[in-house]
Amino acid sequence: MSMGKLLERIIQLIPVLLGVSLIVFVMLALTPGDPVQIMVGEQAITPDQEAALRRDLGLDKPMAERFLLFVANAVQFDFGQSFYHGRPVADVIAERLPATIELSLVALIVALATAIPLGVLAAIRKNSIFDRLATVGALLGVSLPGFWFGILLILLFSVHLQILPVSGRIGYASEVPAVTGFLLIDTLVAGNIAAFGEALRYLLLPAITLGLPMTAILMRVTRTSMLEVMRQDYITFAEAKGLPRRRVLYRHALKNALIPTVSVAAIETGSLLGGNMIVETVFGWPGLGRLVVESIFLRNYPLVQAAVLLYAVTYVLLNFIADILYTVLNPRVKL
Amino acid sequence: MKAFPRLLMATALAATPALFTATAQAADLIVGFTLDADTLDPANHRKRETETIIRNMYDGLVTRDANMLVVPEIAESMTQISATEYDFKIRPGIKFHDGSDLTAEDVKFTFDRIVQDGGMGDGVTSPRKGLMGPVASVTVTAPDTVRFTLSEPWPILPAMLPNQQIVSKAWVEKMGNEGVATGENGTGPFKLVEWRKGDAVILERFDDYYGGAADIAPVGKACVDRVIFKIIPESASRVAALLAGEVHIINELPAFSIGQVEANDATQVMTVNGTRSFFIAMNMQGEYFDDLKVRQAAAMAIDKQLIIDKILAGNAAPIDGILSPDAFGSSDLPKVGYDPEKAKAMLAEAGFPDGIDVTMDTEGAFKDTAEAIASMLTNAGIRTTVTVGEGAQLSDKWRTKGAPKSGDMYFTSWGNGSLDPFDIFTPTHKTNDRGNSAGYANPNLDALLDAAAVELDVEKRKAMYRDAEMMINADQPYVYLWVPKDIYGVSKRVSGWQPSADSRINLHDACLN
Repeated sequence: MSMGKLLERIIQLIPVLLGVSLIVFVMLALTPGDPVQIMVGEQAITPDQEAALRRDLGLDKPMAERFLLFVANAVQFDFGQSFYHGRPVADVIAERLPATIELSLVALIVALATAIPLGVLAAIRKNSIFDRLATVGALLGVSLPGFWFGILLILLFSVHLQILPVSGRIGYASEVPAVTGFLLIDTLVAGNIAAFGEALRYLLLPAITLGLPMTAILMRVTRTSMLEVMRQDYITFAEAKGLPRRRVLYRHALKNALIPTVSVAAIETGSLLGGNMIVETVFGWPGLGRLVVESIFLRNYPLVQAAVLLYAVTYVLLNFIADILYTVLNPRVKL
Repeated sequence: MKAFPRLLMATALAATPALFTATAQAADLIVGFTLDADTLDPANHRKRETETIIRNMYDGLVTRDANMLVVPEIAESMTQISATEYDFKIRPGIKFHDGSDLTAEDVKFTFDRIVQDGGMGDGVTSPRKGLMGPVASVTVTAPDTVRFTLSEPWPILPAMLPNQQIVSKAWVEKMGNEGVATGENGTGPFKLVEWRKGDAVILERFDDYYGGAADIAPVGKACVDRVIFKIIPESASRVAALLAGEVHIINELPAFSIGQVEANDATQVMTVNGTRSFFIAMNMQGEYFDDLKVRQAAAMAIDKQLIIDKILAGNAAPIDGILSPDAFGSSDLPKVGYDPEKAKAMLAEAGFPDGIDVTMDTEGAFKDTAEAIASMLTNAGIRTTVTVGEGAQLSDKWRTKGAPKSGDMYFTSWGNGSLDPFDIFTPTHKTNDRGNSAGYANPNLDALLDAAAVELDVEKRKAMYRDAEMMINADQPYVYLWVPKDIYGVSKRVSGWQPSADSRINLHDACLN
């Protein structure tokens, strides 16, 4: 991809982010529920105190002015103070973000590592028992609600077998100095293999729960596209040439069959961020999703705005990565 | 083809937990808790959960024992000098976690920070100011004595003081508000080791602890080495963590999980009378409920005891006024009684022989209970549809002070952590007050509540609230339902701890066997 194209993509990001900010801002403002009322709850407060609180939170200004202020500050990476944490929103989000990214990436790896082999196997053993089982499994995977499946896993592996933890990121005996915030990396940096293993144990159930629907979708996509590719003339030709079946499958068929899988995976990775909110709640995972849901209920405007903006940037970046991967896998396509 | 099974095998192997060794510390008492602290600054939060966590690190001038009795903690004694002046003598030899000594200046600084406008610095006023009522100033009158001066008499000062914890002046000035939000330097039984935001607050025993309230035995250092508040918002996961032995105490055990916890050999259920009154607001400015007969009909149509037995598993006390049976000033009141036939007759008398069609708003968490109530009301001719809304939206609709009310009924609740009528009776029943969702207006009651709020004679004050309860019992602006118990799941390894009615989880005396 040329520098020009890259620049074009970055410039395209600006109206997207402005649009997202405006929509989120307006929607939050129009949603019933006054942040000051929610914050005060059942506590006694005089009208003067209420006015002072409204002023402290910056909610006494007209909506248009608040939006312009938000944009002006956001371009300097200042997203304001969280209404509840007594600290800048950026700090609060930065603390929770690595947990979410780590969980999403591991879920993505679990999904890809399971879906691609299963999809290929199902395709080359079309209509076999395995294929049928995989199809039914995929249907279940897409249909099972995460909160239910997660709790089933907890009951089986944590309560009955007692081999995996119910919730959290790592045990309390392990103290890992924070370098990147990603525990799998930080434990290795610290040279603490036991803690690495422990972090992996904590990750397993949430990652499987989060990755399950994606696994199911990717498996179906891989199977379908593999079947399609296998019917192409060049595969028949390769087989006719007497190439070993393995070589035909991996070198000729799989590479092309993976193109749709990669596109879908990139888009679905965005949905992992959304699915996180439920999985993080079930597994007590200290990520951003839970924080955002709590903040929406509390009408913690600055935090929700900043987080949604972050989600938007992530989606745009993921699409961008998908496009690049697409050109790598399919050189006929130029961006 | 062999590569695929190999790949699957590798995934399976990675998933084999036996490869990894689990690490756990025996002397860690772990609490599976619903919500993380918003901040660790005792003066800058509004949530009870935040206070519960902070309270294990910071002590207050006074505290409450398990029976909700207010007893001195950092204060040695309290003397009322006049109707508006109270002296507190500070105990000697109390140390902050950084090793510095606690002085009367620290106490004054703590309360200046809370009660003064802009007291937090940068023009910010403490969100806990409202809890300090008419406290106007705090002055140091002797090296070991502070004087609280009120702008008007306020009999519940001692009941409200346990909500505030003492900070170190020097430390707060050094750290600034943001430092205080994430750091800690209290005088409590535990000090902060690490706050893993959203995941856990890890505390360890403070070995120089002065011992805590003299009236709450045992006095001395904490029993366990470490205490961990592990944040598990989802109830099913919290219960699972308790059953798996991963945590030792869980709060907000759902009534339907009681059997599961009791059936487990290693765990038990502990309950305590709560402080939150549940009721149904009937919109007295609306179409039907402006008529006393209709309101009485609604009250008669509901079989409270059946719901308490079947849905709340017996874990609630029925009420006939707004006050919990444990609250100051509560007394036996005339009971409405469950009588659907009489309810129908009253409706007919009110001019609705064919019944009425109404809606009842509630939050998702209470949908089941609201549906049960709705079916009872419907049986008596008050055909009720439950509409589930989100908390913020419903409080906007029902609680905004003085705004015109829309809607018919609102199934809701109000907390009363101090167990003093002042912070539940006035907001829910005084004309146009912030929690008066029924839109009830009774000038006689308003005058009585105002007088009771500043009455210093305990017996007189009690009698005033008794009169007030009789008034609302007769006017029935709400259907008063019940005060649920707080339910905890507790490992049988835990000793020396019992749940407290104010929902705090003070772990100073808790041991792990």
